[in-house]
Amino acid sequence: MKFLSIASKDIKELLRDRRGLFFILLFPMFFMLVFGFAFGGMGQSNTPHSIAVVNYDEGATVTYTNQTMNFGNNLTSVLEDVKYQNSDVHMFNITKTTEENADKLLKQRDVDAEVIIPKDFSKASVALIANTLQSSTSQSTIQASSQSSSQSTLQSTQSAGVSTDNITAKVIIRGDTGYMGFGTAQGILTGVFQGYEDDIVIEVQNRIQGTPGAKPHQFIQTEVEGMPGTEAFTSFDFLAPGMIVFAILLLATSVAASLTREVNTGTLERLKMSKMKSFDLLFGSSIPWTLVAAAQVVILFAVAIAIGFHWQGSINSIILAVIVGIIGGISSIALGMIIAAFAKNERQASNLGTLITVPMSFLVGAFFQLPQVTVGNFMGQNFQIYDVLPWTHTLNALRSVLTYGSGWDAISYQVGMSVVLTAILFVIGVFLFSKTRLRAEK
Amino acid sequence: MEYSMEVKNLRKNYGDFVAVKDLNLKIRKGEVFGFLGPNGAGKTTSIRMMVGLLKPTSGEILINEEKIDDVERGKIGICPQELVLWENLTCRESLKLMGDMYEVPKDALKQRINKLLKDLFLEEKANTTVSNLSGGMKRRLNLAMAVIHEPEVVVLDEPSEGLDPQSRRVLWNYIKSLRDDEGKTVILTTHLMDEADSLSDRIAIIDHGELLRLDTPENLKKEIGEGDVVEMVLSDPEKNQELMVELEKLDEIIAVLEVDGQVNIRAMNAVAKLPRIMEQVEGVGVHIADLSIRQNTLEDVFIELTGTGLRE
Repeated sequence: MKFLSIASKDIKELLRDRRGLFFILLFPMFFMLVFGFAFGGMGQSNTPHSIAVVNYDEGATVTYTNQTMNFGNNLTSVLEDVKYQNSDVHMFNITKTTEENADKLLKQRDVDAEVIIPKDFSKASVALIANTLQSSTSQSTIQASSQSSSQSTLQSTQSAGVSTDNITAKVIIRGDTGYMGFGTAQGILTGVFQGYEDDIVIEVQNRIQGTPGAKPHQFIQTEVEGMPGTEAFTSFDFLAPGMIVFAILLLATSVAASLTREVNTGTLERLKMSKMKSFDLLFGSSIPWTLVAAAQVVILFAVAIAIGFHWQGSINSIILAVIVGIIGGISSIALGMIIAAFAKNERQASNLGTLITVPMSFLVGAFFQLPQVTVGNFMGQNFQIYDVLPWTHTLNALRSVLTYGSGWDAISYQVGMSVVLTAILFVIGVFLFSKTRLRAEK
Repeated sequence: MEYSMEVKNLRKNYGDFVAVKDLNLKIRKGEVFGFLGPNGAGKTTSIRMMVGLLKPTSGEILINEEKIDDVERGKIGICPQELVLWENLTCRESLKLMGDMYEVPKDALKQRINKLLKDLFLEEKANTTVSNLSGGMKRRLNLAMAVIHEPEVVVLDEPSEGLDPQSRRVLWNYIKSLRDDEGKTVILTTHLMDEADSLSDRIAIIDHGELLRLDTPENLKKEIGEGDVVEMVLSDPEKNQELMVELEKLDEIIAVLEVDGQVNIRAMNAVAKLPRIMEQVEGVGVHIADLSIRQNTLEDVFIELTGTGLRE
């Protein structure tokens, strides 16, 4: 049972090297936190969008009631009040300000979009109302349209009846078209403007029909239909399992460095002189790293939940996740052996490890989904080019159990594949390390 | 005569460079065999081949008449020149690990660990992590780890490198006890003359990968190093050569050498020869800045053989 002695030695070394352990466990946690805070809100449907409103509206008198109205202010308060469906969360955080300041806020991304209400907005609205009153004989349109440019326009064109003037009010939605936050905010705003226009028409029509009454402003124009339980998902829910896989992959660097240290300090030669076999060393040193992989999964998962991961499954899913993580960890240990077979010293092992594991994280889709490159069909599953890497299956399985709360049935293929690929990689690792490091030097 | 180890035509080439050149040695059972040579002479390379860590370019090594590749692991214990330790383990844990690796039975291992800790004065530090030991303690632990499995042949590569005199004394006594009490064969490399002189039964002098001489320390001193050595520093070292030419003409002088700017004169009964030597000094027209007479040492033998002092 010499491998147990090696394992116990490695565990002691790992635990006593506080700084090293700190790095191994906390570095991925740091990534998790950064990604959690960066993407935690993104994609989530009920988050208020920050909007700056610049109101140039001068107001106008509504002809049939003789009331002076500022429709710009009215629109602003509508924006302030509007809430998500079945929710107490406001759609927008409104900042009323000057155009100059709004531009500044936009540049700093303190606001997602800037809405500029023109000075003739009320006049256009009054014209719309007048037009509606004569709706039997004439047509009126207020168009709310969103263009792919940075400006969105709300136009009111009055072309008949009381006045022959064409009044066009153009509401500008200004923002950075390359910014994801603007894309979402602009989409919702366009919907709200359309709803506002419709409401004016409805309200006027109601009054004419003698049924005055306030109709609540409710402007949900689009509805996202997703998988059950995923409505509240954010990008982070998809990223968190990726972060765990990234951490597991990074273990290869630590394993490579620790094996190379054994070579460099000469302790490996001491062991080589003894009755120790390659198996004892490589199996023995795998045990503590496997435990680290399991710890990584649990710790990172806990951190993810703490910063907003929407956990779907039960305690079973954590157990499954730990098992999946351990298999992924063994793949990383094998990768570490391969790196250690070639690295000349610890620093080289770390650099080489980083050089290999970071691109590998991208390849397995830890950060974002890569374009699909199907190379064939295997056991009824599309086989992507990335599927030759065991960590792709680790990630798919972790996403299944942690993000969607799936059980064993859903991940059995992924786990099976990752076991097979891990075994292959481990054999390669043991072969290369034994060949280069455990024989007499040439 | 029983031999622990036989080295036949051992050679190691690194490209064009010949690190070890056709080395032939027979190491007797139960002797302390000294490998003496300057740094870079090929001692460590030879040792690494002799214990099976390095493949020779050609030649063979027999341990108890068995080829080294076929020998059961654990017959040899090597204490490397550098400190080869796990910094985060304690002394006891390190020894236990090595014992486990050599499959030493549990009870025997426990006793052996305690004995080694006692013999090498590490008892108090048994549960201290290696990183907190002093240099001398680390050296002693380095040695203990090489002999935990009681190997037949103990190979020590420059064991007293960097040791304080006190630790060196402990080490020397231990090496002697390995031979005298436990009957082990000890192979020792060193560039320290006094170490080789006082510990070794036989000494191989090696330089540039070649064996220059192999004999007991006494024979070596007698053969090459008869007489006393007069060490002389002249007021004008530029006249050294001129004086040496004159001295070599004298019959009663055995040898004259220039070492580090001083003139070393070897002669039987040197004190009686001093007046003749002084005459020559005056003849060359220089004064003596410093002069001493001492007995011939192994170092003189060494210098005579290698033509140099020890290279550091």
